[in-house]
Amino acid sequence: MIQMFHVTKAYPGDPPVLVDINLDIEKGEFVFLTGPSGAGKSTLLKLMFLAERASRGQVLLAGRNVARLRESGIPFLRRNIGVVFQDFKLLPTRTVAENVGFTLDVLGTPRDEVRDRSLKMLRRVGLEHKADVSPLKLSGGEQQRVSLARALVNDPALLLADEPTGNLDPALTVEIMDLLTDVNARGTTVVVATHDATLIERYQKRTLRLEKGTMVADERGAKAARLMSQSA
Amino acid sequence: MSAPAKLAYFVRTAVGSIVRSPFVHVIAVASLMLSLVGFGVARIARTQLDALVDSLGGEVELTVYLTEDAAPERVTELELALTQRTGGQVHRVSPAEALGRLVTQLGEDGKGLTELSDNPLPWSLEVRLPKAARDAQALADLAKRTRALPFVTGVDYGEEALERLTLIARALEIASLIVFSLVFLTAVIVVSATLQLAIFARREEIEIQKLVGATDRFVRVPFLLEGLLQGVIAAGLALAAVYGLVRWLQSGDGGLLAFARLDGKLLVDWPRLAGELFGIGCGLGLIGSFIAVRRFTRV
Repeated sequence: MIQMFHVTKAYPGDPPVLVDINLDIEKGEFVFLTGPSGAGKSTLLKLMFLAERASRGQVLLAGRNVARLRESGIPFLRRNIGVVFQDFKLLPTRTVAENVGFTLDVLGTPRDEVRDRSLKMLRRVGLEHKADVSPLKLSGGEQQRVSLARALVNDPALLLADEPTGNLDPALTVEIMDLLTDVNARGTTVVVATHDATLIERYQKRTLRLEKGTMVADERGAKAARLMSQSA
Repeated sequence: MSAPAKLAYFVRTAVGSIVRSPFVHVIAVASLMLSLVGFGVARIARTQLDALVDSLGGEVELTVYLTEDAAPERVTELELALTQRTGGQVHRVSPAEALGRLVTQLGEDGKGLTELSDNPLPWSLEVRLPKAARDAQALADLAKRTRALPFVTGVDYGEEALERLTLIARALEIASLIVFSLVFLTAVIVVSATLQLAIFARREEIEIQKLVGATDRFVRVPFLLEGLLQGVIAAGLALAAVYGLVRWLQSGDGGLLAFARLDGKLLVDWPRLAGELFGIGCGLGLIGSFIAVRRFTRV
């Protein structure tokens, strides 16, 4: 699903944010991306949803070399990628259902269908009863679930989540993580950037660890959990 | 992907944006409307001026003087040739008719002319020209070609007055072009500025749209529609304002503006004026929004 070969990302005048990254994430995998703040986790995710381009190296998404992709082709690739952010990025001027349906509006889906599919997705994240309220009236956990519903409403092949539980208390964190594992169980490839070692210990998934822009570990299962808890 | 669904979404978004921030849109519409009212008034003034020029232009005649030895059949040939060449009406003036006119023009002083034994005046042809041939250059060319014809001794067409009239009309045209270019440029800047504000207010929305796979075109079309809607609304209001102004002038209560009336009635081609106002309004709205979206939708 995602392959990177000797990827470096640098901004003019600054030291590189990512150095010689090599990785291969297969279709249907659940991967944690971890490391301390400033390690380059968000930048790596941005390379995955094409908000940034690599300075050097090759990035392949679903087998397509993104370096060869024209700017005009990026939106079409993004339609297969759902993204969840720590700050939710919900629109306060729209209702919860409208926020979820935003993704389908972009695809030119008829209005009735947008509403139906949005409600269905809200039911899946347990928020159908909040469909017509403003996101501002929701708790942090609820807002993140709306954000997740928006990312999933068009059944993307890949879900990227950047610190999705960063603003949530432990109970809400588990709630969101359970939703993410459920999505993964249905076949969606999921990449979660987090610096929360307890999550990695609890879910025991493949874990990539970044430090100062370099990939320092790539472990799976219990070994990943042990390694990450030691380095945390 | 459904095109009608997308179009419906674009229209909803554009109208929603206008409804959500009416103040900035009112400024843009007012600015556009004032420019269009100015244009509409100038257009009507120009129509009245054209009518005036036409009425003066109706007097434009080419007088062709012939040699004394031109036989009547030669005069007939020339009359036919000039009719074909100019597409106008040719009137043959005999020496006797010419002398009669001169005597009438001179009044008391011309009485002596009636006692002449020989009429010294030649045959002449008066050509009343069609509208298309009334500009100074076309007349000069026609006069030159006519002078080269046999039996023609001279051609007169009041060239000085015509050139002056043409110059005035051209100066007015250039002045209005400059003034309206500036006025329309200002309107475009205002429309562009209001849409930049609208884009700024919706920057979060644009960012999310792009994240979920919206193309640049998808992001930009609602803003272009907003500009277009501003143009349509402004044109409708401008047309209503110009109509009200014309009605007021024609009602006779126009006070100082009453001089603008021509025979008590203003000549206005309403369908054409409406077409121009809506065309220019939509064009300015679209140009303003196009400038704004080109520069400010790159998130």
